[in-house]
Amino acid sequence: MASKVTTAQTMELAKARQNTRRERWHSFRSVMTQNKAAMAGAIIIGIYLLMMLVAPIVAPYDPYDISLEDKLTPPSMEHWMGTDDKGRDILSRILYGSRLSIGVGFASVLFGAFFGITLGLVAGYYGKWIDTIISRLLDVMLAFPGILLALAIISALGPGLINVTIAVGVFSIPLFARIVRGSTMEVKKLEYIDAIRTLGANDFTIIFKHIFPNVLSPIIVQGSMRLATAILSAAGLSFLGLGAQPPSPEWGAMLSSGRDFLFSAPYMALFPGLMISILVLGFNLFGDGLRDALDPKLKK
Amino acid sequence: MLLFIAKRLVQIIPVIFGVTLVVFLIMQMVPGDPAAILAGEGASQETIEQYREDLGLNRPVAEQYMSYVSNVFQGDLGNSLKNKQPVLDEILLRLPITMELAFYSILITIVLGLAAGIISAVKPYSIRDVSVMVVALLGISLPSFWLGLLLMYLFSVKLQWLPVAGWDGPLNIILPALTLGVGGAAIVARMTRSSMLDVIGQDYIRTARAKGLKEHFVIYKHALRNALIPVITVVGLQFGSLLGGTVLVESVFAINGLGRMIVDAIRTRDLPMVQGGVLVASLVFVFVNLLVDVLYRAVNKRIDLN
Amino acid sequence: MNKEVVLQVKNLKTHFTTSKGTAKAVDGVDFTLHKGETLGIVGESGCGKSITSLSLLRLIPTPPGKIVEGEILLNNKDIVKMKEEELRKVRGNQISMIFQEPMTSLNPIIPVGEQIAETIRLHQRLPRKPAWQKAVDLLEMVGLPSPEKRAKQEPFQLSGGMRQRVMIAMALACTPEVLIADEPTTALDVTIQAQILELMKDLQKQIGMSIIFITHDLGVVSEVCDQVAVMYAGQIVEHRNAKDLFKTPLHPYTQGLLSSLPNIHENQQELQTIEGSVPSPYDYPVGCRFADRCPHAREICRAEAPDLLETNNAETKVRCFMHTEKWEVIEEKEELVCP
Repeated sequence: MASKVTTAQTMELAKARQNTRRERWHSFRSVMTQNKAAMAGAIIIGIYLLMMLVAPIVAPYDPYDISLEDKLTPPSMEHWMGTDDKGRDILSRILYGSRLSIGVGFASVLFGAFFGITLGLVAGYYGKWIDTIISRLLDVMLAFPGILLALAIISALGPGLINVTIAVGVFSIPLFARIVRGSTMEVKKLEYIDAIRTLGANDFTIIFKHIFPNVLSPIIVQGSMRLATAILSAAGLSFLGLGAQPPSPEWGAMLSSGRDFLFSAPYMALFPGLMISILVLGFNLFGDGLRDALDPKLKK
Repeated sequence: MLLFIAKRLVQIIPVIFGVTLVVFLIMQMVPGDPAAILAGEGASQETIEQYREDLGLNRPVAEQYMSYVSNVFQGDLGNSLKNKQPVLDEILLRLPITMELAFYSILITIVLGLAAGIISAVKPYSIRDVSVMVVALLGISLPSFWLGLLLMYLFSVKLQWLPVAGWDGPLNIILPALTLGVGGAAIVARMTRSSMLDVIGQDYIRTARAKGLKEHFVIYKHALRNALIPVITVVGLQFGSLLGGTVLVESVFAINGLGRMIVDAIRTRDLPMVQGGVLVASLVFVFVNLLVDVLYRAVNKRIDLN
Repeated sequence: MNKEVVLQVKNLKTHFTTSKGTAKAVDGVDFTLHKGETLGIVGESGCGKSITSLSLLRLIPTPPGKIVEGEILLNNKDIVKMKEEELRKVRGNQISMIFQEPMTSLNPIIPVGEQIAETIRLHQRLPRKPAWQKAVDLLEMVGLPSPEKRAKQEPFQLSGGMRQRVMIAMALACTPEVLIADEPTTALDVTIQAQILELMKDLQKQIGMSIIFITHDLGVVSEVCDQVAVMYAGQIVEHRNAKDLFKTPLHPYTQGLLSSLPNIHENQQELQTIEGSVPSPYDYPVGCRFADRCPHAREICRAEAPDLLETNNAETKVRCFMHTEKWEVIEEKEELVCP
């Protein structure tokens, strides 16, 4: 009998948590839609995602089609962004390149988030020596400045877009892990988690069904901020010639080849860089808004 | 204070070991026979075996790591595969250039960032504040390698005020340092602003005003000094991404620093060089972080030793 | 009593403009403070007493707050109309303040001695060394042990009571004519509270200043105040000699407040509470603001707003129809109407 009462109480507690979660989602949505900057960011991101989808339909030319007699023509009605040194249409390349540049960003953040969240949940939930080992490991990963860890990984795996994805993703792991670890330790202390445990839930259920949903909001904020950095880093590595290889229309790689023609054809470097900048701006606007909406400290 | 420094020094020892371990392990991940790679292309089977013996590559991994660490602590980072010269010599040649670039960049980050942040915070939500913050948002969104090209196009190609590339005189420093420093400045500006606004809302600022202090005294003596405390941490972190950023900016402006050395070494598969470069850059960052921690503690005595 | 008037507040209105409308936090406050007198301003939280005290030195953050009407006469000079520079000479010099939270009201990274000394340097134009010495003397005066050493310390090295002593030393640095103490003992332990109150009384005798004591604690009021002004919904509802007020409260709100106090002398069965809640400062009722919670309320109370009027005793002011001639008249009338 006694256990039945506990079950009911626990269910109630869990439900209450869920309700507050729903309330939070509602207030979050209203804050986000009221925040003009965040909306602008969301619209920018939306346009880019659309671009990825419709690239083959709207691209006026084949992005790989070399036509040397048309090389280095400035922007015109035929070629809105001009042509590159091989006579390829820059606009078409940019449209197709969106799939690579944005795709690498998303893939690397997902990669980093998966391992980071897992490590963070495990460290935060189990604590003790497991936490110590994981935390030290994260400290070491964070001891590498900027993209140098990514560089080291690429030097081992060799250049290429997939390896760039992994390298940039690895760099995200400690950032996700730290946030999740902290939030997990907080949530773990809540009473209802204890109650669920006494009801016989195993660690796996507790971690993924009860703790994970509660640490989701900091993960989302971190994710949107990381996307901006990941896209920048991946483009940077391609710019250095370590990522996408020619003739790939990846934006960083396009910028890199544009650099050689800075004197004669500055538009070759202008447009890919502009595309990266606006996208990153979109993510930053959106991330700022997310943080304001989800951070209770900033709420007035 | 000395005790604190000593304690922090002890704390970074495992981090340093960790960094060497990661660098070592990454090189273990290289596909193929490391001896063959180290011997260089087209080396005879005999030479490869010779290398394997010399470098102890046939010994267990743990043993190899121990000898790697002991070599590192003796200043032996191995020899370049390209010119067979010690890696350390090359690094010592390149590091000062990168440090000089980093120094001027962080200077720009701090000065520009603080100034912009304070200007914004003193009159929040004014036109001045909004425009500074819009520029800061652009600052964190522009890729450094693109900003570098834009600046180069404007000041070197169009206006011809500054040299295009290289590292021969003081004029050469301006564009790369600006390119590298602006992003950090934007982040510092945002941090300074929010920190200042936070502090200006505190009770002790009201106390300062209630005492009849002049407004600029209230802002600079009472508010700014408190607001700077969290900014110090941000500047320290910024130094890390700045060091990483040298890789890109040195490539854009053709500066023969440590970053460019690493990139070139990756291209030529000169693994010891990559290993050495990444290790040294990371150690520099670890020590800069230590410095930041000490500074943080010096201005904020409230935090305890842990 | 024909004492010299130090501070006179006339029809003070401080309003806050927010997205929800205009909050009339202080809505027509009048009082007079005499030399050497301690005036207590009491009321529940949100009644406008703290905003009143901050308004006196124009420390209301603008926007959203603003003094929209009224005069604050310090020796017949209106603080509301003063220029910034003139105002700064009043702040910390003629009028100084002590705040509720000694933890957060001191700058965390500046040695406490310096925080006192800078006020002295500013208002008395003393050079660094004598100003520092004076700061140390002040710390000794407020009873801080080993003041030389403490002056060099930062607030986090001091206990809550010590910090409040520092705040007092800082406020008294320039021997002000008026000290405004906004809940100075609320954040402290009971024993420390008594010490701080004792200290303030002693120092008042030495310096001869007037004190405005803002608090929600009626016990504290009965201990230190000569006069009491009870605030409700942005207005003063009763202003009297402290002894009389405790003996025979006139306003129903004051009566409610007093009966909600635990009384150690009488064996009370249960504590009284005042039913209902304070009206929103965004939307006050037309009539008496207490009418909805008042056990004696009649039609006129909801139709007309009472003024703060003197009763037969000139020292006593109360904002209630019960104590006007109107009340009797109405009573008769109402009795006529009601069968």
